[in-house]
Amino acid sequence: MDEIKLRVEGIEKSFPGVKALSNISFRVRKGTVHALCGENGAGKSTLMKVLTGLYKADAGQIYIDEKPVEIRNPIQAREYGISMIAQELNYVSELSVEENLFMGRLPVNRFGKVDWKKVRREAIKFLKEENLSYAPDQKLKTLTVSDIQMLEIIKAITNNAQIVLMDEPTSSISEREVKLLFEKIQELKEKGVSIVYISHKMDEVFRIADDITVIRDGAVVSSDRAEDLDIDTVIARMVGRKMENVYPKEILPLGDKVFEVKNFCQKGIFDQISFHARKGEIVGFAGLVGAGRTEVMRAVYGLDPKESGEILIDGKPQTIRRPEDAISKGVIMLSEDRKEYGIIPVRSVTENASVASLKNYFYGGMSHKKKEKEDVGRIFRKMNVKTPTLDTLISSLSGGNAQKVLLARWMLCEPEIMILDEPTRGIDVGAKFEIYKLMTDIVKEGRTIVMVSSELPELIGMCDRIYVMCQGLITGCLERKDFSQEKIMMLATGLLNTSDREEER
Amino acid sequence: MKKWKVFSAAVLSAAMLAAPMTAMADDAYRVCFVARASADTFAAWLTNEMKKAADQYDDIELTCVSGEADDAEMAKQLEDCITKQYDYVIVQSNNNAAQAPYVKAIADAGIPVVTTNPTTHQADLDGETGDPEVDNAVMAGTGTVDADPVAQAAVGAKRAVEEVPENANVVVFRGPSGNYHAEKRREAWDTYFFDVRDDVNILYEDYANWNNDEAMALMETWVQGGTHIDAIISMNDNMAAGAIEAVRNNTDYIAEDGTPSFLAYGVDGTAQGCLLIREGLLTATALQDAGEIAALNMKYAEAVLNGEMDYTEVNDYVDAPEINAENVDEFLKIYIENGEISEADLD
Amino acid sequence: MKNSKLTAGLQRFSIFIVLLVMFVACSLLSPYFLTPNNLMNVARQLCVGILLAYAEMILIVSGFLDLSIGSVLALSGVLAVSTYKSTHVMVLALLVAFLVGIVCNMVNAVFVAQFDVPAFIATLGMQQVARGIALYYTGGANILQLGKFVQLGQGMVGPFPVPVLIVLLITVIVWYLFNHTRYGRSLYAIGGNRKAAEASGINTKKSIFISYAIVGVLAGLAGAIFMARNNSGIPNGAVGYEMTGLTAAIVGGTSFSGGVGTVMGTVAGAFIIGFLENIMNLIGVNSYIQSIIEGAIIVLAVAFDIRSKSRKQTKQIMAVKDEAPKA
Repeated sequence: MDEIKLRVEGIEKSFPGVKALSNISFRVRKGTVHALCGENGAGKSTLMKVLTGLYKADAGQIYIDEKPVEIRNPIQAREYGISMIAQELNYVSELSVEENLFMGRLPVNRFGKVDWKKVRREAIKFLKEENLSYAPDQKLKTLTVSDIQMLEIIKAITNNAQIVLMDEPTSSISEREVKLLFEKIQELKEKGVSIVYISHKMDEVFRIADDITVIRDGAVVSSDRAEDLDIDTVIARMVGRKMENVYPKEILPLGDKVFEVKNFCQKGIFDQISFHARKGEIVGFAGLVGAGRTEVMRAVYGLDPKESGEILIDGKPQTIRRPEDAISKGVIMLSEDRKEYGIIPVRSVTENASVASLKNYFYGGMSHKKKEKEDVGRIFRKMNVKTPTLDTLISSLSGGNAQKVLLARWMLCEPEIMILDEPTRGIDVGAKFEIYKLMTDIVKEGRTIVMVSSELPELIGMCDRIYVMCQGLITGCLERKDFSQEKIMMLATGLLNTSDREEER
Repeated sequence: MKKWKVFSAAVLSAAMLAAPMTAMADDAYRVCFVARASADTFAAWLTNEMKKAADQYDDIELTCVSGEADDAEMAKQLEDCITKQYDYVIVQSNNNAAQAPYVKAIADAGIPVVTTNPTTHQADLDGETGDPEVDNAVMAGTGTVDADPVAQAAVGAKRAVEEVPENANVVVFRGPSGNYHAEKRREAWDTYFFDVRDDVNILYEDYANWNNDEAMALMETWVQGGTHIDAIISMNDNMAAGAIEAVRNNTDYIAEDGTPSFLAYGVDGTAQGCLLIREGLLTATALQDAGEIAALNMKYAEAVLNGEMDYTEVNDYVDAPEINAENVDEFLKIYIENGEISEADLD
Repeated sequence: MKNSKLTAGLQRFSIFIVLLVMFVACSLLSPYFLTPNNLMNVARQLCVGILLAYAEMILIVSGFLDLSIGSVLALSGVLAVSTYKSTHVMVLALLVAFLVGIVCNMVNAVFVAQFDVPAFIATLGMQQVARGIALYYTGGANILQLGKFVQLGQGMVGPFPVPVLIVLLITVIVWYLFNHTRYGRSLYAIGGNRKAAEASGINTKKSIFISYAIVGVLAGLAGAIFMARNNSGIPNGAVGYEMTGLTAAIVGGTSFSGGVGTVMGTVAGAFIIGFLENIMNLIGVNSYIQSIIEGAIIVLAVAFDIRSKSRKQTKQIMAVKDEAPKA
């Protein structure tokens, strides 16, 4: 059974001035899931690129079925049976489902004309086999992001692959689809396919991995059977130090109701949304992708319109039409989409941090850049933002550091109520922990956090109360003592109706 | 969006149909003047003069359109002339060769067509044959009323032969490359001046494309070259004015009392040119009289339309009278009368 | 470390290096280049172009542009000239120029900010409209005999031409706007990522309106100076000047994708082009060849600038990687 499918021996890769991979070795057994764990920048993605032929290793050897192979480009990788599911989706929204399925391998006749009849035939057959309800000529833009992600995954693994590389495959799909994916992985294992699985989500890793290799700073730290490890050990090895507690939650006495949203409605998106938060409280919002959580928060913050609804701060009704109104009233929102609504890539970390509080640095007909630098430097130190200088462009920071800069942006506004939408999405474990710590510090200072997250463990770990949404409605609210993944999932999938909830109370 | 387009197109075409209809109402001859551009000082002047001249004739109803210095637009306007069945068409070409086939099409459609400022020649349609008699002939089946560019430029050139000091350094400002009048005027300067005075040195020569500001920028830089420029030779008054503006505050060129240490020659006799002559800064220019071109055009149009002559017989050139310090006041009077400048401008 | 700081500095100022190289090369090519008269001459010739370059820079930095500026310049210029001719009050003439510029650009701003019409299209429309009005108003003829109005373009204060002094003053103002006001910082944010700027509480529409208003004032001022320099009100003048402004801004390091650009870079860009044209005219290069050389050098200068900047960025990324383990 311990047949080695893929063996990597002494892989080295340097870029000018930096060694990305040094002496990487590990073995992937046939028909197993092999997880690669490491912080962002540890070298996992570089390793993936070496395995798919995008980068050429400086030294080392790759063996498939114990035969040495040289992978020069992705096409060759595919010929060796290696298939890759990338973390960042690259798709053309105008393409149809079938065109996407056969991209790069469209069947052609001998004149080079694409055989569309064959494409349609095979696409229908494929969609049927995989139990997918899309029409073959449906445009990708009509699908949700998670649908597309699933399509990509299924496409990659049905491609007669022997080795499937998955880089954060669950970063943009919902819990239900994760389940589907894991079923699929199980099926593959039974067929003898080997899977290399990269994920930040430790619970996922432990759910499916047979072996776990930890990489830190471009070198292998350990490579063990999963059953010999526990989450804390893996995390400690990843970050190079022992983590005390994954969720540094402190139970604090809660103050008055400082923030209240009443009857928010936007036809077809969300309806009858009412919730509140107390001083010093972390309130969570759980739900499946598409439940309308982000949309509600955007409407509350004034980024999107709403049809009706009221906002009360400290019991007084307030009008928020635009983000500037919200900010002036002490309400901020960290957007889930860091790229689109957060980062200003071409500007420095300082400017990115101060952009929401410019009035503190430009007043009286003058600029106060020294004060700006001091404030930003102070908050960066407090938040442990790693940046070479204060003038470094934000686009050259890692995801976790960039996210901290964005949090710093909002901290500089001295807000009372912070809406954090997916504050830890796509960042590594170490940075996640730091953000949790920051959240704890924030509420200790008497501020209030409303956190939207698709990761149940972090909601359960950090929140005092969790609202659950399903299809644009709030289907329940759980107190900390009642938290459990099962209950939340039931509410999130609409399996528990309102009357049940009343009974529970 | 589409509906809006259809609607506006309908309104536009209705408007276009309505215009000639009012003209037809009173049985007058319908004449169309296709100007080179509206954003061109001379073309604008000529258009105005055409309208004034047409007003003198009760039986002529003049429509003026402009090709906006765009050959494609010119082609469209000329084709429209056939569609709208004008009785007589006057064409001021933007680019002779490009418009020649369209001018011919109007003639072929049986509509009298006369080219003006510049003339369209047979060579514009067929290409140069090398035989000057064939090449310089007016295009078959058309008439012309024009100013002769060689004669115009010769006015200044002939004076310059006498006036320009020995071994003088001169600069030359040219009109747009390929423009008929620009090239012919430059040729005239060769024939009547440079060939005669081989002691004269051309210090710099460049295209300023009839433009005031381009000539000014060139002149500003050229005077930095260290060598004193003894004469400005410009293919029109507009460029000469720009060049003069460039040295207006330069005491090497214009002494404190306003006496220039250079000569300057232009062509066209524009209001600006006349004012500069009065100031003593422009030495001489030759009038290209839009008023006279327009008057002649209308005179012939009336004659042709009333059957007094055949339009292919129309072949006339306006004079190019010299304007200089002695006679400039009478020309300024004309400009004051037509409102282009006022008495106050002479102070 | 010191060495890397030096190279970083060199890279940051790469466009000024291009300018310096250009300056030295020009001095070698013609003995007349380095005379005070000639340098003043270049400065005077660049005045209108620099004003337009500032206008375009303000817009490009925030992710927009203005193709109508040449026409608006002509319209505000001729209206200012005719105001001066009838009133002989310079201040009034300038006010008219500013007002016309502002009105035209408010129309641009309404379409761009309110109706989300791409700036390219909205301002292309205004280009035609403004030119049309200028020609209609003057009947296509130049307005002559501007009297004292020419002082604005030709006058001297001591050894300095009036337009150069005006542009110096404007440079200080624009520099101040960009570096010392909330508005300036907002422009960078809007151009860098408009959605993020909005989500950070910046009133993007307001900023766009302010920008176009400033562009209007600059266009009006440029129009007045242009007409004064030429001693005539030229309704068909300054055709294609929007490209002059755009080119100077882009050569000076302003990024068409928004969020990047500096006042000093734009000045450098304008002077690179100015010196280039000046030296070619001084040594009498054929104008067809001039066009070829100018095109080539502009592209090369920008390529050099972009290359040295991208090197700077890779260095910084590495620095982060190098530091990470220590922390």
